[in-house]
Amino acid sequence: MAYLVEQLINGVCQGAIYALFAIGYTIIVGVVGLVSFTYGEVIMLGAFAALYTATLSGGNIFLTIVMSFLASGVTGIVIHKVCYEHFFEAARYISLICTIGMSMLVKNLVQIFCGSETKPMPAMIRSGGIRLGSYQVTYVQIAVILVVVVLCTILSVFLNRTRQGIILRAVSQDRKAAGMVGIDVNRATLLGNVIGCGIGGVAGMLYALYYGSLSASMGGMATMKAFSSSVLGGLVDTPASAAGGLLIGILENFGVALFASSFRDMIAFVFLIIVLIFFPKGLRISGRRRGK
Amino acid sequence: MLQIQDLVVNYGQISALRGISFQVPDRSIVALIGANGAGKTTSLMAISGMVDVTSGRIILDNLDITDCKPSTIVSLGICQVPEGRHVFPELTVYENLVAGAVSCKNLKKAQLTERIEAQFDLFPRLKERKSQMAGTMSGGEQQMLAIARGLMSDPRILMLDEPSLGLAPIIVEEIFNMIEKVRDAGKTVLLIEQNASLALQISDYAYALELGRIRLFGTGKELLASDEIRSIYLGEA
Repeated sequence: MAYLVEQLINGVCQGAIYALFAIGYTIIVGVVGLVSFTYGEVIMLGAFAALYTATLSGGNIFLTIVMSFLASGVTGIVIHKVCYEHFFEAARYISLICTIGMSMLVKNLVQIFCGSETKPMPAMIRSGGIRLGSYQVTYVQIAVILVVVVLCTILSVFLNRTRQGIILRAVSQDRKAAGMVGIDVNRATLLGNVIGCGIGGVAGMLYALYYGSLSASMGGMATMKAFSSSVLGGLVDTPASAAGGLLIGILENFGVALFASSFRDMIAFVFLIIVLIFFPKGLRISGRRRGK
Repeated sequence: MLQIQDLVVNYGQISALRGISFQVPDRSIVALIGANGAGKTTSLMAISGMVDVTSGRIILDNLDITDCKPSTIVSLGICQVPEGRHVFPELTVYENLVAGAVSCKNLKKAQLTERIEAQFDLFPRLKERKSQMAGTMSGGEQQMLAIARGLMSDPRILMLDEPSLGLAPIIVEEIFNMIEKVRDAGKTVLLIEQNASLALQISDYAYALELGRIRLFGTGKELLASDEIRSIYLGEA
C-alpha cells in the first residue's frame, strides 16, 4: 500500500510534466490546425537551454525557466516561418511534412554541436525532501509541481481573461471567421506557436531536472507523450489534455509498480489506443465549464 | 461609398466573377440576389480580402483596398458576417463580442463595455445568454450574435451573407427588422440573400447576379415589381 502511494506521488509529479507537454501541444495544434512533429525537439531544446543556463548561472532556477521558455519560444518563431506561414493556402500535408523535416534538422544540429550522448543535468535543487506522515516528497518534486501549477494559472488567466487570449482561442475555433472579424490570423498563429513552444521548453527543463539527464534524442519520446496525452482532449481541449498527461504519468508509475520498468513507455501507447477506440473525438472540459 | 469596378475572381480554372461592377452608397441597404453559384458570396469574400482578385478594383471612398489584408479591411470599416454564422462555438457570448472588437486596437475598457452594451440593447436576448457558450445557442441566437459581433468593430459597412439561412420565419423577420435598424443607425448594409423577396423588400438598391455577371439593377421596389425577377427568383410565372 505504502509503495502504491509513493508511486502515486511520483506519478502525479511526472504527470504534471506530461500535462505541461500536452498544454503546449494543444495550443500549437489549436492555432495551426494541424499536428506538429517538431514539438519533441522544441522540448529537447528547452532542456538544453536549461542545461547551459544552469551551468553558466550556477543553478539560478528562475533564470533557467526564463531561458528555456525563450529558447523554445524563438524556435517556435522559426518553425512558424519555415513550416506554416507560407503554406496556409496549400495542402495540409505540406506543413506536416515540413515539421517532420524540421524535427530531423533540429535534432541532428543539436547532436552535431552539443554531442549525442546523454548528459547529466546539474542539480539545481538540493536533495532530500519533506516528510508527509510516512511518505517523502522530494524538493525536486515540489519544485516541479509548483512550476507547473504557477504556469498553468498564468496561462489560464491569459487565455480566459485577456484580449490576446480570446484572440488565440477564436483562431483555434474558427480561422475563417477570425479573419473576417479582423483578427490578424497569421500574427495570432505566430503568438500561439511562441507560447506553445515556450511552455514545451519549460516542460523540457522540468523533465531534465526531474530525471537529472537529457539527450538530443529525447524529443521522440516527448512528442509521443505529448500526443498521447492530448488525444484525451481531442488535441484541442487544453484542460482535458492536461488531465490526459496527468493520467498517463500516474498510470506509468503504477504500471512500473505492477509489471516491470521496461513497460514504462508502453503505457502511453496503450492509453493512446484505448482513448482512440472509446473517445475518438476526445473529451471536452473547457466547453462545458461555463455551459448552462 | 464602396465601388466595385470590373471585378474578376477565378478559383483555379473556374471563373466565379466575370467582371461585375456595382456601388454601395452610404447609409443604405444594398442587396445582391441570385441563385447558387451566381457569385454573391465570392463578391463579399473579395471585398473583405478573403479571396484573391484576378482583376478589377475595389474602392472605398478614394482608397483602393483591392489588395489589403482582411484585418486591414476590417479596421478600415468593412466587416463581413459569414454565411452559416460561424460564431466561435467555445467562446461565451461575451467573449465572442470581445473578439469582434479586436480590430480596434486602442479601444479602452470603458468603450468596449459601452459597445457591448449597445449590442445587448439591439439584441436583448444575447444579454440573457452573456456567459453561455455560443455553440450551445439556437440558430437564430447564433445569427444575432454573429451580427452583433460584426457590429463590434463599429464598421461603416456591414456585409451580411445569407442571414436568413436555416432560420424559422419568425426569427428571420426579427433579424430583418434588426438590419433595418442598423441602417437607420447610420450604417451601410450589403446584404446577400437567396430569399429574394424578403431582401428586396428592405433594400434601397439591389443587384441580381447570374453566373458571375450583373443581370439586373434597380431599387428594391423596382426589382420586386420586375417581371423578370418575379419569374426567375420569386417562382411566379
